Amino acid sequence: MKLYLILGVFLCFSAAKAEQETLVLVDNLNIRETHSQFFKSLQDRGYSLTYKLADDANLVLAKYGEYLYKNLIIFAPSVLEFGGLIDTEAITKFIDDGGNLLMAGNAAAGDVYREIASECGFEMDEESAAVIDHFNYDASDDGDHTRIVVSPKNLINAPTIVGAQNTHPVLFEGTGLILDKDNSLVLPILTADSTAYSYNPKSQVKEYPHAVGRKTVLIAALQARNNARIVFSGSLFFFSDEAFNSAVSKVHGDKLKAESSGNKALAAHLSAWAFGERGRLRVRNVQHQRQGDKVSTNTYTITDTVVYRIEIEELKNGKWQPFEATDVQLEFVRIDPFIRTTLKRQPSGAYEAVFKVPDVWGVYQFKVDYDRVGYTRLYHSTQVSVRPLQHTQYERFIPSAYPYYVSAFSMMVGVFLFSFVFLYYKEETPKTKSE
Amino acid sequence: MTSLVSVIPKLYQEYTTKTPKKLKIIDAYLLYVFLTAVIQFVYCCLVGTFPFNSFLSGFISTVSSFVLGVCLRLQVNPENKQEFQGLSAERGFADFIFAHLVLHIVVVNFIG
Repeated sequence: MKLYLILGVFLCFSAAKAEQETLVLVDNLNIRETHSQFFKSLQDRGYSLTYKLADDANLVLAKYGEYLYKNLIIFAPSVLEFGGLIDTEAITKFIDDGGNLLMAGNAAAGDVYREIASECGFEMDEESAAVIDHFNYDASDDGDHTRIVVSPKNLINAPTIVGAQNTHPVLFEGTGLILDKDNSLVLPILTADSTAYSYNPKSQVKEYPHAVGRKTVLIAALQARNNARIVFSGSLFFFSDEAFNSAVSKVHGDKLKAESSGNKALAAHLSAWAFGERGRLRVRNVQHQRQGDKVSTNTYTITDTVVYRIEIEELKNGKWQPFEATDVQLEFVRIDPFIRTTLKRQPSGAYEAVFKVPDVWGVYQFKVDYDRVGYTRLYHSTQVSVRPLQHTQYERFIPSAYPYYVSAFSMMVGVFLFSFVFLYYKEETPKTKSE
Repeated sequence: MTSLVSVIPKLYQEYTTKTPKKLKIIDAYLLYVFLTAVIQFVYCCLVGTFPFNSFLSGFISTVSSFVLGVCLRLQVNPENKQEFQGLSAERGFADFIFAHLVLHIVVVNFIG
């Protein structure tokens, strides 16, 4: 018994630990120093980071079919090809199997980056191209106007991803991204201002730039259908200590100034979202029954009143707590939704809907499909059958139907009497004939 | 028109004199069934079809009774002896009763 207990506790620990296993791929180990504050914030939140050179010949993501890491950070823009068993395909598979990815590049990022980006639905600009903004560059810029100041207004409106309070401007230096318009899962986290464009700062602009104005996405995110999360930043500088610590002062325009940049807070929020600390939902319990009944059934009769109750939980500070929202909807579907209603939150934390089953029988599903930006996609369906009234459930002895009852019974009495008359009647004429 | 006027009394006369009494009993029964059906139909038109199953079973019970009665009349009629060779009038009546049994079980089941 004790042994089991110890074993159980140990298993719990190891499971919790596996959530936090993170592999950091860097192109030189110097990045550990230049981005120490970001890594420190991750370690403080309980992640165990494993640093490896991106071209290390012994790199592996999985061993014996099981992933060694839940999260992957790639801070290696100069890498030409990953070492060991890691390549674009391995990383795509890692995401398909539910792994999270945080990736940051810069103007020098190579083709591997482009491949991974396009796998995730982003398009990265050509090599050596950088986002340039002649109106929104920082005072610390070295003349190319590539170290740009981005107002927090350009952030996506999704507090679960970027945090609720972003008032400090953000420093950014790196390439721009374009999002695939047909991909409904990608999110532009941070976009450039309308005066920005993406081009090689060292050469004259001869062609139309890859990305122009607000279409230039600086940081993009993707939540895959399996709820794996990817954050792709065009700038590695964005996560650096230098960007975290430096003051911001815009040279032109509104002369936006701040004691410190918003990078640190935003980077912490982004990593927390990407690695599943926030915005995670799960269904804890689903109940449905006839109103007044105690036990759940999976068969209803037409026009029954049904009570549907679902408990949804959100991961908050490492604990599963009741989720609070006002826009969770329930659908009662038989090919088409027959009923779509908003679930009401009960004091107990569960969501409840009371509705009348339609007067059409068949196989139905209770469906809760909650898909909001920044939250995991919540989908739950329960199949039930709705049957017509039982033979004994119909109304009986309806006053207006009495004539029909009388007629039906008079037919029976009629045939009864008729048979007596018919059988006992003797024809008179044949009698006389026989006589 | 004149021919029609002359035909009807002749028909009546023929009927009263030539038709066996047994068939007349059946005819009286059929008339009763027919009138019940008409009354029900009129009632349904006036009141509406609400307990539709009740109306259907009541109405169908009369219609079927009528049909069965007509079948019995055909078999019992001495003029149709040729058609029903080997089938006696008693056999015809037994069939009639059996069909009625089935009919009324269904009707009571459906009337609600």
